[in-house]
Amino acid sequence: MPEVFIDGTRYEFDEEQDEMLLQFILDQGLEVPFFCYHPSMSIPANCRQCMVKVGTPVKDRETGEFELDENGDRKIRWFPKPQTSCSTPLQDGMVVHTQETSEEIERAQKDNLEFILVNHPLDCPICDQAGECPLQIQTYKYGPEGSRFEVKKVHKPKRVELGPRVTMDAERCINCTRCVRFTEEISETNQLTIVERGDSNYPQTGPGETFDDPYSMNTVDICPVGALTSSDFRFKARVWEMNQTPSIDITNGKGCNVDLWTRDNEVLRITPRENQEVNDHWMPDAGRKAYELFNDNRVSRPSIKLDGDNQSDTSWNNAIETFAEVLEAHDTQEIALIGSPHASVEENYAVNKFFNLLGTTNAKFATHIIPGAGDDFLITDDQAPNTNGCRAINLDETDSDTLKSIVSNTEVVIILSDDLVGREVLSADDLDDTYTISFATNQSDTTKESDLVIPITCVAEHAASYVNIDGRIQRSYPAKETKYTNRRLNLEMSEGRLDRYGTNFDNWVSEENKVDCLPVWEFLNKLAERINLEFEYQNSRDVFADIRNQFDILSDISYERMDKENGVQLPIQQKEVKQA
Amino acid sequence: MAQDWKSFEPLLIPDIPNLQQIGVYEDNGGYNALKTILKDQGHWSRDHVIDEVKQANIRGRGGAGFNAGLKWSFMPDPDGGPRYLACNGDESEPGTFKDRKIFEYNPHLFIEGALIASYAMAIDNIYVYIRGEYISWVDMFQDAVDDAYEKGYLGENILGTDISIDMEITYGAGAYICGEETSMLESLEGKRGYPRVKPPFPAQKGLWGRPTTINNIETLANVPLVINNGADWYGDIGAEEHPGPVLYGISGHVNQPGVYEYASGVPVMDLINDVAGGIRGGKDLKAIIPGGSSTPPLRADQLEGVTMNSDSLKEAGSMMGTAGMVVMDEDTDMVDVLWRIAHFYHHESCGQCTPCREGTGWLEKVLLKIKNGEGEMKDLDLLLDVGNQMEGRTICALADAAVWPVRHTINRFRDEFEERCKKSVHAVA
Repeated sequence: MPEVFIDGTRYEFDEEQDEMLLQFILDQGLEVPFFCYHPSMSIPANCRQCMVKVGTPVKDRETGEFELDENGDRKIRWFPKPQTSCSTPLQDGMVVHTQETSEEIERAQKDNLEFILVNHPLDCPICDQAGECPLQIQTYKYGPEGSRFEVKKVHKPKRVELGPRVTMDAERCINCTRCVRFTEEISETNQLTIVERGDSNYPQTGPGETFDDPYSMNTVDICPVGALTSSDFRFKARVWEMNQTPSIDITNGKGCNVDLWTRDNEVLRITPRENQEVNDHWMPDAGRKAYELFNDNRVSRPSIKLDGDNQSDTSWNNAIETFAEVLEAHDTQEIALIGSPHASVEENYAVNKFFNLLGTTNAKFATHIIPGAGDDFLITDDQAPNTNGCRAINLDETDSDTLKSIVSNTEVVIILSDDLVGREVLSADDLDDTYTISFATNQSDTTKESDLVIPITCVAEHAASYVNIDGRIQRSYPAKETKYTNRRLNLEMSEGRLDRYGTNFDNWVSEENKVDCLPVWEFLNKLAERINLEFEYQNSRDVFADIRNQFDILSDISYERMDKENGVQLPIQQKEVKQA
Repeated sequence: MAQDWKSFEPLLIPDIPNLQQIGVYEDNGGYNALKTILKDQGHWSRDHVIDEVKQANIRGRGGAGFNAGLKWSFMPDPDGGPRYLACNGDESEPGTFKDRKIFEYNPHLFIEGALIASYAMAIDNIYVYIRGEYISWVDMFQDAVDDAYEKGYLGENILGTDISIDMEITYGAGAYICGEETSMLESLEGKRGYPRVKPPFPAQKGLWGRPTTINNIETLANVPLVINNGADWYGDIGAEEHPGPVLYGISGHVNQPGVYEYASGVPVMDLINDVAGGIRGGKDLKAIIPGGSSTPPLRADQLEGVTMNSDSLKEAGSMMGTAGMVVMDEDTDMVDVLWRIAHFYHHESCGQCTPCREGTGWLEKVLLKIKNGEGEMKDLDLLLDVGNQMEGRTICALADAAVWPVRHTINRFRDEFEERCKKSVHAVA
């Protein structure tokens, strides 16, 4: 096995992997500072921060054996200059000294950081990147204690709206070119380039062009300084004020892995979470706007149409009572159940099971597929996060015409978390003659037409699983408290700095941001109790445990496995897409 | 030197009227080297041509001084795909202005050299990169290329053989960095001129990812001389380790600045006094920059016995570079000179990698401070230290080129710099 010696420790490497030294060092859990390198993009080696001292053993040309010195150690031929480890291929027998064991390298990295900071404004206290800025972190760890630069800094353009979603502060740019390479190599729009020369240069669009790449905000994530910022998120919050909770992008069928950044029960930012099987390091801009769905226009507290026209809020008890009375007043065959590719596997299963127990036939669901809406990357034609999840638990896939027909022949329609009216699967008229009950997260054209609306938790408020278009089951975690949950008691919830170091200034106290809603299975528990139905789940794990007992395809899936493997691939073939 | 330099007859830009016209060039033996090779490819195999050039030890005239034949031998064997020769005529360094003489007076000598190089390396496409400011020379050279096509030296089935080679001219947009070989490749590919990280080297992965050799214009113009006369003949011209004719571009405070062709190894003082007509106004010599602004300056008292060849200049503490010598008289303000050079490198740094992007500006700003009488003694050490932080830590050699003049000018003319600086103020405990 080929070997490499890093700071005196021997490591073996796989020649087939064709790995560069920096990535190998990082893979071993070691550290070398860097800015421009990104594992998913080309290597420009332009920041010059990841310098290491490299030598290779001298081999006898005839025998191929390593030449030894007088102490019996291999003779090493050192490269005359420090090498950038990001661009140095691994070589058998290579000897590497990082900043840990080489004063020369430690000095070189310090020198380089002094250069980087020469024209970088030291405005960390007001910079949006503060707290998660690699430059800030690495300057503390590897940089000089001060600067000898006592002449005038270069002032580049500030607050430049590169596009509708990205604002640039060129002064902070360290010219790592990650953003430019992203548009060249990942999104392939080539919308950014570097303009000007030397210490005056910065990224820019072509004249008259705008940076409206559907993936533009990924450049904000990968900018190692505060040069590219999210126009939407700028100045909204500090990273240390927020909790970071893993989740799934629910705006299309890809199920990009994301982190939800919450403060005071509001999701303020959504960023991609690396998953090589799904989205690498990226996500579409559209998915980042989903936080508005979690914060705004929520259905909070049940509502009911008392006079058949105007909705008004009602108590949970009245909602349960009304629901029960509707069920009691109708034959199960007069009830139509519509599941949702927008809802989780657990929600679809729980609702379907509840009504199956009452004798209602299996739920139908209408896919939300818009042919041509997707691209060849992370945006899919399928606008829903869980179409395959509905299929996996054998809900009946149907189309608009069939649904209309079913609705016209029933007395009661129960809709799970799907704006069927808004997306024109059903019309408002279709629902005129039926009693419509909606389990909903947000106000919509469908809830407007509903006689009874039950507020349920959204993806940011519950643990649940979703099966993406490629058949990968992945799960979410609660990131927000509801009126009936407490983040400190809920073990699924992530812990933020404010949880750990909570003070009197802890902001997790604001009641107005807590939505008055329940997980759908919890509501069904209460409804079951009222109508004496044997139905009870303590939490979503309970629901999933039941699901895995019912469906072979999910029999060896568990939350633990999904956590461990970052999602699990199911043996699901994507069916031919069918428009609802 | 093997012979008195004064008796040297120019070979690259001989005094033949209208030599730029292809007929005149042919009448004076032009394209004979190419014809010789193509007619007897059995004898003049590709390897033989490379060996001959290697043997002649044509040192690259772009500044690096690498053996041209050895460079050619780095090209991998042909695999059926395209291969390129990129000819570097982007001479943008202050003090360097000699390739334009070839474009103007003897373009076919270069074309012939490029064709021989292409034959030797099985190359089918030649790109000639000319400095963007050389607008009139581009036009002149285009005429020569057109003539060569018309006469069948370029294009399909050259001189009735199965060898086809095309030549295309590209002119730069005016960036010094595009004279750096890998930046030139980027520019030729239509991209911003940024140096490439090596390895891979251009011979493995050059233009559009294909094997490419990059040679200077003057270097290639030497090739037909070697084929016509042999490596031994060539090796006898001028300095032993740096043989052949050299175009000396002499500028600055001399009476007759210009481009002069002599053998390598002309004594520096002879070049100044005899070739360039001595110092303007009868003044004393203060310093020279031997081969373009990046080469370390030498004081007048360092020049005794120094000749224009790599070894001699290295021994004296400088470099041959492009042999573009800048001469400075006794009135020259070395602080001003250094600031101006630093200003150039700051302006021309492409900005791709950190030490150069930030270091060149820092050097210039501190030098401006000193130039304006606002510098302190500690600034001199700062300049040297910043230079040390830059050298050897960048993708290309521009940072080195910016540092060397700073380091050597300060070290060799320190008294002038100290005179301009205020005393540093140190806190007293």
